[in-house]
Amino acid sequence: MTATVERPQKPTAPPALSARAKSRSELTSADRVIRAFLAVAGVIPTAALVFLAVVMLRQALPAISANGTHFFTSTKFNIGVGASNGGYGTTTVAASYGVLALLFGTLMCSIIALVIAVPVSVAGALLLAEKVPARFQNPLGVFLELLAGIPSVVYGIWGYFTLGPFLSHNIYRWLSDVGIPWLDGRPQATGLLTASIVLAVMIVPIIAATTRELIRSVPTVSKEGAVALGLTSAESVRFVTIPYVRSGVVAASLLGWARALGETIAVLIISGDGAGVPHSIFGNFYTMAAEIAGDLDAALTDPSLMHTLGEIGLVLLVITLITNFAGRLITQRFGGVNLPVGAGL
Amino acid sequence: MKRLLPLALIVPLAVAGCGSSSKTGTGTNSSTTASTGSSATSATTASSGGSANMNTANPTAPVTITEAGSSLLYPYLQTITPGLSTAYSNVKLSSAAGGSGAGISDAINGTTNLGGSDAYLSPSEFSSNSGLLNIPIVVSSQDVDYNLSGVSSLKLSGSVLAQIYQGKITTWNNQAIASLNPGVTLPSEAIVPVRRQDSSGDTFLFTSLLSKTDPTWSSTVSYNTKVNWPSVGAEKDATGNAGMVQVCGATPGCIAYIGISSQSKAEAAGLKAAQLQNASGAFVANTPSNVLAAVQAGSSNIPSNLAQPLIYEPGATAYPIVNFEYIVVKSSQSSSSTAQAIRDFLAYAISPTGGSSTTNLAADQFQALPSSVLGPVQTAIASIQ
Amino acid sequence: MISMRRRMTGFAFWGFCVLAFLFIAAPSISIIESIIRQAAPVLSWSLLTSSKGNGLANAILGSLILLLGVLIVAGIIGVAAGTYLAEYATGRPRRLLRFFSEILAGMPSIVIGYIGYVSLVVGLHWQFSLAAGIIALSVLVLPYIVKTTEVSLMQVPTALREAASGLGMPRWQTLRRILIPTALPGISSGIIVALAISTGELAPLLFTAGPTLNGSASFALTHTNHGIGLPYLTDVVFFNQTQGETAQSPHIAAAAGLVLLVILIILIVLGRIVSQRARRQTARMAL
Repeated sequence: MTATVERPQKPTAPPALSARAKSRSELTSADRVIRAFLAVAGVIPTAALVFLAVVMLRQALPAISANGTHFFTSTKFNIGVGASNGGYGTTTVAASYGVLALLFGTLMCSIIALVIAVPVSVAGALLLAEKVPARFQNPLGVFLELLAGIPSVVYGIWGYFTLGPFLSHNIYRWLSDVGIPWLDGRPQATGLLTASIVLAVMIVPIIAATTRELIRSVPTVSKEGAVALGLTSAESVRFVTIPYVRSGVVAASLLGWARALGETIAVLIISGDGAGVPHSIFGNFYTMAAEIAGDLDAALTDPSLMHTLGEIGLVLLVITLITNFAGRLITQRFGGVNLPVGAGL
Repeated sequence: MKRLLPLALIVPLAVAGCGSSSKTGTGTNSSTTASTGSSATSATTASSGGSANMNTANPTAPVTITEAGSSLLYPYLQTITPGLSTAYSNVKLSSAAGGSGAGISDAINGTTNLGGSDAYLSPSEFSSNSGLLNIPIVVSSQDVDYNLSGVSSLKLSGSVLAQIYQGKITTWNNQAIASLNPGVTLPSEAIVPVRRQDSSGDTFLFTSLLSKTDPTWSSTVSYNTKVNWPSVGAEKDATGNAGMVQVCGATPGCIAYIGISSQSKAEAAGLKAAQLQNASGAFVANTPSNVLAAVQAGSSNIPSNLAQPLIYEPGATAYPIVNFEYIVVKSSQSSSSTAQAIRDFLAYAISPTGGSSTTNLAADQFQALPSSVLGPVQTAIASIQ
Repeated sequence: MISMRRRMTGFAFWGFCVLAFLFIAAPSISIIESIIRQAAPVLSWSLLTSSKGNGLANAILGSLILLLGVLIVAGIIGVAAGTYLAEYATGRPRRLLRFFSEILAGMPSIVIGYIGYVSLVVGLHWQFSLAAGIIALSVLVLPYIVKTTEVSLMQVPTALREAASGLGMPRWQTLRRILIPTALPGISSGIIVALAISTGELAPLLFTAGPTLNGSASFALTHTNHGIGLPYLTDVVFFNQTQGETAQSPHIAAAAGLVLLVILIILIVLGRIVSQRARRQTARMAL
């Protein structure tokens, strides 16, 4: 029988909270203190970023107004002659800074590095993950970890003394003889192509390690399906693995691209310190990062150069940011797996 | 800021200093602070021919003065550092090579106490920094070295060098070079000019010569510690005099400008020094007497701020690339013990029984300051407070 | 039967993959071989322990102190920030903070060095110093630690949180006793990656910790007595190789490089041990 006693009205239940939110609402005072402390820490990366951006802008502003649009259209980077740059003599030629050649150098060597590194990383990772027997996988993976950790100064020295001369003697000569325009200059050990190849070696571990993990996480179901359909292992890679890992590889490649853009020391050693756009793929060139590092000591007594280096840094920063954004957009767009095989399982 | 530690503690502290490579003296003076460090001080005032007392004395507590800059001057500073600590037990010099440009800016910014520079300060550097001094301490010179195994002697002129570094002369057997060297078989190899990548006093000296001998160079590139090098195609870059030796030694057909203190290393690397044409038209080698001739010609009338070039001086035997090595320093120091240590170091460096002894100078093939210059130099040293 | 054409394509493809792998393996072997070969003539115990002249002891000490500094500064801030993002932040602030942290990750190291020079070395008059170097490196690697901490904490099964909440554990105790220890392998591997990156950096340090001055060393935090600066291994490599004064110099450079590699290998081994523990732990925790 139903009770007739009046029961006090139950308060309406609060909306269902997730376990996390529920535990979040029960904060003691010690919790609040700790949360405050953690919040301060949480803000620090953002604060650091803001600080960097502000300092960069302040440093670059005088140069932005002084250099004008000429900065982005000229390939000549002249530090000025005579009294105009705080120097000597009676000749005075005003400084004329143009970033175009540096922009070309930076983008070109990063693009070439990426063009080399992505196929190599993916192919190498495929080999490691798919064909190599399990007990050799870890030891062979050591190569990737080593390459990832070698300091860039060691890469620069290796490129300058070992790889460059080797390539110049054995490979560049043939390449130059083929006669493709811009690929047929005078071969030398330093220069754009050598630097790009060394950069490629530097970014391969980033892309390859990620790709390897991604390949490992392809559902076995899909692979088994491919076998069932009678695909060769190569075809299985093409139709099953690659589509699955594609967006992850793109994301990792963008990481590698960002690394290549910002690489300073290795390029400083191998670039040959060229002025202007190189005449051939073997020619001397310079990048924005190397320019900042290389001219900083001269900039200490030349304020216009110092501010211009700040402007160059700003340009480099902006390019890196654009890359970051593009990367996130791409991964969001292609995000997730859209595999016909295995969907629904 | 006088530290009042008892002297008994100071010497062991100085000796126990972490990681120093220079020897600290065994404390020649453990008595009063007013005593002079060594006979070097009195010898300097005596030999200068009646000039300012530079007020040198061993500081009461250990002081380390730091220097950075010219890689041409650096070996010499390394040579005299031990003797300095023997003469003044509480003074230690810590030096580094990073290029004259960095040296000047370090001195201006206060990152180091002293800047070493082959280049004197520019007019705008003087005007923007009141109280900044450039004090010559020794005379040095520069060689133009080449890497050609079959050519034992070579004559070059400033205008030919300017053409080479502008890319107008690209092979060794070019007519212009051949006409200066009758009877010498020059190979058809390409010339590889090497330039200094860092902000360098050697670049300053070399481009000074090119500016004086080639009007095109003077109006388009001029001279400075860092210039807009014309793009030649085959050029290479190096950092520091040591880098120049290394790069040029490894590149047949190359040509490089190298400070004399690195000349022995250059020769060990297979490089040879060329004879250069001076203002009187003669081809002279870089020998002490030829350097002396240039110094005599150039230092008869030096300006009050001591900024005096010695490039392309007139005289039948004068060598064309000669320079004073400068120490850039602020005349007003933050602490009197630092100022004291700096005065001690500078006085020691120019003293013929101290830094500028024949043995020290010979080690790096430098020369002592001429006597006509000593007076103003000592006045400048005395003004550091 | 698989047609000839398909089989040949397969061979060609895997052949290319083998070549690619060689492109990966050959440089690492070549680099290690040339470092060892170059370092061999000068390698000796006294080289590593002497602080005079060419001795590497000061540089090794400097590099290790830098690592310690990065561990403390970036480690504490990074783990704390990652914890905040994973456990306390919600909605828009969380998205923003995480977003900005990721942008920081892409900052070129030379830009960080430039700014460090302008603001710390010159601006605050710290001169080339340990503190400036540590701050520059920490800013560089902070995003990695934040990200791995956040991800590791988010991977801790909610069941554990529910259990703790059910037991009436206050938030911070849950964090301290359960969440962090569980996420520790992931957090540690993030820190190890950050340390490995710091070991090999030169560009930001050149303008904050300074170029090495031969022979002298100052481990002072700031105001290093007018520019003596901190010695560290990557700098020794760079300057001995490009501006070395003696015939020994390239060998000294290689020896310093070898020490760097050894430090790196130690970190890699540590990283593998940690990630193995992590894998075992996740397998155990299949709840």
